[in-house]
Amino acid sequence: MINATKKWIFLKASSIVLVPLMAWFVINLVSIYDKDYVDIVNFFSTQPSKFLTSLLMIVAFFYSSLSISEIFEDYIHDEKIKNFANKTLNIFAIIIPLFAIVIIFNLTL
Amino acid sequence: MNKENPLSPHIQIYSWNISSLISISHRVVGVVNIVILTLICLWIALLLLGEANYEYIKFFLQSFFGKFLIVGIIWSFTFQILSEIRHLFWDFGYGFELKTSKISGLIVIFGSFILTILIYLFGKGIF
Repeated sequence: MINATKKWIFLKASSIVLVPLMAWFVINLVSIYDKDYVDIVNFFSTQPSKFLTSLLMIVAFFYSSLSISEIFEDYIHDEKIKNFANKTLNIFAIIIPLFAIVIIFNLTL
Repeated sequence: MNKENPLSPHIQIYSWNISSLISISHRVVGVVNIVILTLICLWIALLLLGEANYEYIKFFLQSFFGKFLIVGIIWSFTFQILSEIRHLFWDFGYGFELKTSKISGLIVIFGSFILTILIYLFGKGIF
């Protein structure tokens, strides 16, 4: 299987997982965003929101890095700049969700 | 692999229609959403500062700009959800006809606004 096919399969598989997760998160976001500190910490530190938010972060950043790398492929002409942009994007897409997950799993009242 | 692959022409070359509008918006919203997700991660990180410091964030989120930001996030996520569902239908071989493609494009545009209002009202417990 060529790399482009693998990338397409990963992109589609992640989008299938992402659609219900985004819908779940956005509905919950509206109900908590203006609440007190205690309510928000309670939301992120209890199940199933703890697990679902972590999963959302992993899948969303994975999906975003794949889809943005497609934009780089289409519009960046210079091979060196493209490689640098892709590497930076991949590092960003690993560090940020990892950072968020570590915080979620350490949140306590 | 051949490194001289043709690149996509820049967007000003295309004549505008529903399909191109949705296609370009899908890409732009995808990039905007990674910024939104990073902001959400930052919001979660700010919880570590404690209850007293969180009052500033709460004050912002309860302001007009905070509400505008939340509505913008809902629209951006909703647009991507609907556009992604449209793409998944295409992947299974449905909706390629010109008329169907235009209708599904209009559903994505208008549906994202309608769903944004419904999600906000539902989330606020208004119905």
